[in-house]
Amino acid sequence: MKPAAALLTAAFALLIAGGVWQPYDPDAIDMTARHAPASFAHLLGTDNLGRDLASRLMAGGWRTALVILSVGVIAFVGGGTLGTAAAMLGGWREALILRAAEMFIVVPTLIVALTVAALFGLTPLSAGLALGLAGIGPYALLAHSLTRRTLGLQFVQAAEALGVERLRLMTRHVLPTTLPLIFSYAGSQAGLSVVAYASLSFIGLGADPSVPDWGSMLYEYRIFIFDHPGLMIWPGVAIATITALLNWNFDPGEPLRPGSKRTTVRLSDV
Amino acid sequence: MLRQVSGALARAGISLLAISALAFFIIASMPSDPVMIAIRAWNLPATEETIAAMRLEWGLDLPLPVRYLHWLGDFVVGDWGRSFRTGDPILAEFVWRLPISLTLGFCGLVLAIVLAIPLGFAAALHPRGIADRATRILSIGVQAVPSFWLGLVLLWVLGVQFKLIRPFANDWSSFAVPIALIAFHSLGILSRVYRRDLIGTTEQPHYRTALSKGLSRRQALWRHGHRAASYSLLAAVRSEAGWAIGSTATLEILFGLPGISQFLVQSMSARDYFVLQAYVMVIAVWMIVMNATITFAQRRLDPRAR
Repeated sequence: MKPAAALLTAAFALLIAGGVWQPYDPDAIDMTARHAPASFAHLLGTDNLGRDLASRLMAGGWRTALVILSVGVIAFVGGGTLGTAAAMLGGWREALILRAAEMFIVVPTLIVALTVAALFGLTPLSAGLALGLAGIGPYALLAHSLTRRTLGLQFVQAAEALGVERLRLMTRHVLPTTLPLIFSYAGSQAGLSVVAYASLSFIGLGADPSVPDWGSMLYEYRIFIFDHPGLMIWPGVAIATITALLNWNFDPGEPLRPGSKRTTVRLSDV
Repeated sequence: MLRQVSGALARAGISLLAISALAFFIIASMPSDPVMIAIRAWNLPATEETIAAMRLEWGLDLPLPVRYLHWLGDFVVGDWGRSFRTGDPILAEFVWRLPISLTLGFCGLVLAIVLAIPLGFAAALHPRGIADRATRILSIGVQAVPSFWLGLVLLWVLGVQFKLIRPFANDWSSFAVPIALIAFHSLGILSRVYRRDLIGTTEQPHYRTALSKGLSRRQALWRHGHRAASYSLLAAVRSEAGWAIGSTATLEILFGLPGISQFLVQSMSARDYFVLQAYVMVIAVWMIVMNATITFAQRRLDPRAR
């Protein structure tokens, strides 16, 4: 396993473990231990209400992991199916799916998520659903262009000439080529959804501000910037670490060259 | 030309209609009753007559498509409804607040373009030089760090450590810092896209011809690469435009700027759904206007593009 993949797996294990067990109850208020410095009892110290910062970060990490997973599954399955179907069906159905996907790119992902969060309240699942649905457009366009390109490859055309039926052509030749590419796109988008979820919970939109999300923690702790800057440093470090690990693992860091083997859609298009 | 413009306008109109209809039906299908929210917000007596009168006035008994057409007609002529929270017309609030949000997003993008061209040029002129490495690190770094957290850290460093600005004071710095943050984020991607296209030019035969004519590398790159690279730069600006408007939301909250996103957040705690609908429409118009402007500029740069 490459070092990036190993680190990412470890980080994910840590996020999931953080949801199962925390050293303290993340919501337990202890007014006798307000703003306690870092110690063995409280590894990262405590906040303005005496809540253990490390426990809150761990609980927030679990919620972030939920968002990453639900966004990935919804956008990957939904967009992949629609895009592949568009390319395989062709004709007016292809045009219709593509127009619809392009229409939803017009409104930025974060705004779609903001709207959904405003209506249904902000939980990891509602945010994951919103960000995932907003991501279906670009995934569908990507899956479509990849599938079209694969259908033009010689070995696929040879299989078609041999009389392989459409469904089998898709499962045997097209999907094994396109799915890994769509998956790596999903990975590179996961970092964006971490930042988007942090932004949403920072904005809040009337959600319960005491919930230990990394973004809402940053909102809550921003006023202690003068006396206790550590409170707002740690949640940011957590966001940056997870996002950087995801990007490092799935993304060469450069915008992809036009006409390169992987995709025709640049990662910055979203 | 005229046909292209009218075609683009028609597509933009259809997009706006589709987005508005989708937003309207989702918002209208929410379980909360706007009449009850208004009665609570305005402290009206909750009698049968008041409720019935208000339902009639707002046309809530009509079927959904009819209500949508009513809303659309009112929206187009500038009647965007009233805010439950303040009682003021929503359009007036947006007219007052929109310049603040647009200034942030627009200045940030322009600053990013202005800085991306010299930086990207230097990076292409000297591969593996300082500018090349700096923009590469920048483009990777900004993707991992949320801009509002970077803003908090900046407030801490500049405000608390060096005492250059006063955090949360609503003075000039609460405009300058967000604009710089938006520009900083876009700068990474824009300068890399611009550089990549310039590098592409150096592999072309016409670039070698220009060198053999006696132009220096700098002159040849500028004369023969800049125009094509600007084209890709604009394509990247198009995708950054959506990001800029989204990130202004967090920055408006952090720096306490009274822009449209702050209005949305304040309205959402009062369940003011008309504001949400208006907000979605304003953002969609901004995106469509940005798309059209950039497409037009690209066509001026490269008439071959269709």
